[in-house]
Amino acid sequence: MNDDSTDPLDEQLSKARRGERAALTLLVQTHQRSVYSLALRMLGTRDLAEDLTQEVFMQMNGNLSAIDSNRHLGFWLRQVTTNRAIDQLRRRARVQLTSLDEEPQLFSAEEASDPLLQRHLRALLADLSPPARAVLLLRYQEDLDPVEIARTLDMPLNTVKSHLKRSLESMREKTASMQPMRCEGSSYE
Amino acid sequence: MRQCTSLWLFALLAPALALAAPNPKLAIPSFSALAQKATESVTITLDPGLLGLAAKFLDSNDPQDAATKEVLKGLQGIYVRSYTFDKDSAYQQSDIDAVRSQLAAPGWNRLVETRSRKTHADVDIYIMVDHNQAVGLALIASEPRQFTIVNIVGAIDLDKLHKLEGQFGVPKLDIDPSKGTQAPSK
Amino acid sequence: MSKDIESQMRAALRAVAPSEEFTQKLVANVTSRLPAPRKPRRFAARLRPLAWWFSASLAASVVLAVGVHQHLQQQRLQQSGLEARREVLEALRVTSQKLNLAYEAVKSQSTSLTDAQSGA
Repeated sequence: MNDDSTDPLDEQLSKARRGERAALTLLVQTHQRSVYSLALRMLGTRDLAEDLTQEVFMQMNGNLSAIDSNRHLGFWLRQVTTNRAIDQLRRRARVQLTSLDEEPQLFSAEEASDPLLQRHLRALLADLSPPARAVLLLRYQEDLDPVEIARTLDMPLNTVKSHLKRSLESMREKTASMQPMRCEGSSYE
Repeated sequence: MRQCTSLWLFALLAPALALAAPNPKLAIPSFSALAQKATESVTITLDPGLLGLAAKFLDSNDPQDAATKEVLKGLQGIYVRSYTFDKDSAYQQSDIDAVRSQLAAPGWNRLVETRSRKTHADVDIYIMVDHNQAVGLALIASEPRQFTIVNIVGAIDLDKLHKLEGQFGVPKLDIDPSKGTQAPSK
Repeated sequence: MSKDIESQMRAALRAVAPSEEFTQKLVANVTSRLPAPRKPRRFAARLRPLAWWFSASLAASVVLAVGVHQHLQQQRLQQSGLEARREVLEALRVTSQKLNLAYEAVKSQSTSLTDAQSGA
């Protein structure tokens, strides 16, 4: 994923810093899915996610001069979104289960897709502590590796790995009954 | 001399008179001990200043925001305390009694009292009416692992609260503020 | 099995887009706070007296400091306002949830009464 080649959005970032609306619009449109999804899965409701998304991009607007590339912008947005979500959750000490109606259903055309299981996984994710939830989202939604996750959340690498291991084990156990039974030697056609 | 006496009497009685006037704003305890035990807590305190500020950030073009803005008009405060615990009976009814006792004071009318065996939830809704208008609403909901207190102060327009139906999942409640305990109808 | 759950997690957590309406509102709000684009400046063709430059820089610094302060205040107000809005929505959401509990309880009582009466 590390790509040293020039990112075309770097130029848009420069333009946005100079005050060009079209460039800023493009940056918002590019990154909003990621920010919104992180916010939604951390906070649990569309309203809270929209509010946090708005706050994050407003804050980004005020900090463009400190961001030197689109890649850095992505890192910055993920960091601010997850940290603000964790802060909000800590302040209220509330873990709000994601309403299953809040998430649009993405039915993958992939052969191995299991929408019911995925829905259940999202519900289990909402049960995790905010830091563990953030770790899993950064891993499986944002496709970051543990080192990048540790940097984003300012968390020790071992803690990140521990969250990943324990959370996945717990999810595996809780969804074991939903997984299709596989007997060695059988084939599924 | 008579005037002096009258003034002194007024000064002595004024606090009592003030106390006698019904106050739609409840004195909600801090619940700090319960908050420490709770796995989730919601503490919202919105005074007139914050309500005014919030209203400025509600978008009239968004149906939910627009409906909310309408409800906020005339409100002086919204106070919410909600605590969730990880086991049954982690709180006592006596913890909420300090709030319930205020609702026994003159001015408050119990609008709804529900006891559900199905959900094990008890919900009491009180309204304070002044000149045929609701000026205060209090809601106490107790469930095995959660209790919630909501106090809304100000000129509550029950019609507008009713119109929030669908925005927050607010159900249809045919509430006539001039009546006392009134069961909601479908 | 490990790969299964991880691939299902990836599928479950594919990023979702907000509503088109929200996106438009977001873009409008964010870009409305943008300062006017800076025009490329041309360097002065001739040197100006040092004193003039010094006082001009000082004046510019003061204006900049005031501007930054106002901008920060505006940002803080913006954040407070959004926070207040969020709290209002949350308060009304909790209220409606509990009103719904009461409604459901009464509805089921009414249904039981109706059933009992029609049974009689």
